[in-house]
Amino acid sequence: MNQLDNNAEPVPVQPRDRVLGVFSRFPSALLLLVVFCVEVGVGMFVIRDVRAASVEAQQMYARSVLGLRQIGELQYQAQETRRSTLYALTTNDSNLQVEYADQSREADRRVTDGIEEYLKRARMPNEIEVGRGLQRDWASYLRVRDEVLASILEGSIKEAVDMDLHGGVPSFERVRQDLEEIKRLYDEQASEQLARVGSSSRRSVVRLVGVVCFTLIFATFSVWAIQRSRMQGAVQFATLQMEFVTSISHELRTPLAVIRSAAENIADGVVEGKEQLARYGSVIRNQSRQITDLVNEILLFASTRNKKNRYTLRPLKVSEIVEVAMENTAELVREAGFVVEQHVEQDLPCIVGDLSALSHCLQNLIGNAIKYSGQTRWIGLRALLNEAAPGNREVRISVQDRGIGIDGPELPHIFEPFYRSPAVSAAQIHGTGLGLPLAKSIAEAMNGKLTVESKLGSGSIFTLHLPIAKSMQPPAIAGARDTTAKP
Amino acid sequence: MPRPMGRWLIVGVAASCLLALSKRTASAGAPTPDEASPPEQNLAIIVNTSNTVDGLSMSELRKVFLGERRHWPNGRRITLVMMEPGQLERKALIREVCQMNENDFSHHFLHGLFTGEVFVSPKTLASPIGVRKFVFNVPGAIGYVRANEVDSSVKVVRVDGRLPDDREYALRIPIADAP
Repeated sequence: MNQLDNNAEPVPVQPRDRVLGVFSRFPSALLLLVVFCVEVGVGMFVIRDVRAASVEAQQMYARSVLGLRQIGELQYQAQETRRSTLYALTTNDSNLQVEYADQSREADRRVTDGIEEYLKRARMPNEIEVGRGLQRDWASYLRVRDEVLASILEGSIKEAVDMDLHGGVPSFERVRQDLEEIKRLYDEQASEQLARVGSSSRRSVVRLVGVVCFTLIFATFSVWAIQRSRMQGAVQFATLQMEFVTSISHELRTPLAVIRSAAENIADGVVEGKEQLARYGSVIRNQSRQITDLVNEILLFASTRNKKNRYTLRPLKVSEIVEVAMENTAELVREAGFVVEQHVEQDLPCIVGDLSALSHCLQNLIGNAIKYSGQTRWIGLRALLNEAAPGNREVRISVQDRGIGIDGPELPHIFEPFYRSPAVSAAQIHGTGLGLPLAKSIAEAMNGKLTVESKLGSGSIFTLHLPIAKSMQPPAIAGARDTTAKP
Repeated sequence: MPRPMGRWLIVGVAASCLLALSKRTASAGAPTPDEASPPEQNLAIIVNTSNTVDGLSMSELRKVFLGERRHWPNGRRITLVMMEPGQLERKALIREVCQMNENDFSHHFLHGLFTGEVFVSPKTLASPIGVRKFVFNVPGAIGYVRANEVDSSVKVVRVDGRLPDDREYALRIPIADAP
């Protein structure tokens, strides 16, 4: 039993051990899940960054590279417009002149369409301004070009050349400058976009490296913590086993010493008379029974741990379990001078379980109550029906004492095998650390559970929750039974 | 023995009868003079869309195509566009408008240019499409194409107040002569 004395000093817990304790409480699968979630987070970050970089690159390509290509095409078509016009000057054949004029007009249509397309895509004010300027200058050049073409076709070559030199060349130069300006704007945009993509890539890399490092550190720390907690658990388990061996040795040594002393007295002829011999025999019997009980308990616990124990489950009356437990502990209660106040509710339904195991479980609880009650020497034993939820009816058998109680931090450990509170050990309260784990195992084997409520200095209530056997009618025993067993 | 004169007379009468019969048979399937005239297509006179002139009389048209008129009312120089010699459209225009044949037309321009009586030398193009494109490109150009070859790039002028689709339009090209 793992309870604390009122005067016991709490063991100080190091912050590092507290952190590691947190890790040790969670199973490694949970930690791996956390690592996985972090990895997923990393993946999402990376995907988001890569996607953003990709979108930026696409935008750059669409806006700048394609734009530059289109401007290049515009430049070519503008040159083609002018080139075809000038070709018409080189021949006197009207048919060829008409063909060149046709080519010039085809090219100028492509330029006009390209400028309109550019204006549709233009978003920035400077882009729109340059685009409109280009549109104006191109229209101006086309007016001159039309006159030049007309003069060429009419056969007025000199007039056409004069017109082209004075009107066509300057206006086409303006168009060329406008196109160069648009190209420069695209170049600037491309440079900006390139810088942005580069910055975004660098940011992504830094973020990726950071998160990967964090994940690696976290994963490493998790593995280290898991290993450490396992190691600590192993060390703790070994310590507990050592304590258990020590405790068992101590538990065995006392009755063995008594038996040995009695045997020596008998052998040495110190014992005289039949009455004295009978008294010595009784002592030897009691002590050997105590040893047997102890060994049985250890074996029983071992069998429950190995899942080798086979229980004979059958419908049981609660009163039957209580009676058997009380009968088996009657001598102990009497010798310790305790009062056991019983309250078993009437009409309790049957439960399904193994009588021997359940009574043993109850005996353990009563034995613990005696062991840790201190001077109060009172035990409350209650059995009642609980209907917490429809279809979830259970019988609760509780053993209450008004003893030293259990400190809050100790409560999660009291059902651990071999666990004994340092304070209890220091108070020279003997035990194996197997009683409560065994009781818990039995309760769970009967599809029930064992719970505890305790307050340091006020006592504890251990409650055995046993599910009601389905289609079992309550026994026809009228009235509750309140009894008080006195020493 | 029969007399030779009588024989020859019989033969002559029979031959005359057969000849007359054969002539009648041949003349029975021939068309009437009205039915014999071939189907025709109209010739459209086209100018640049910027030209303000909408119609010309036949005499004005003759002056224009004979190079006796230099400018349009808006001041633009007149440029004549003709198709190459031998084309039906050209033949029709020279015949109907200039009331000449090809030789007279050529002679007229050679002589006129030499003497200074003619101000405009016609441009010669190979195809109706070329004519149309030329007229489209030159604001003062005037040319001709078949009516079904006109498109929106040029403007058709009325001749004596009539368009090519009108019933009594004057400029026609006989289709039977078409290649």
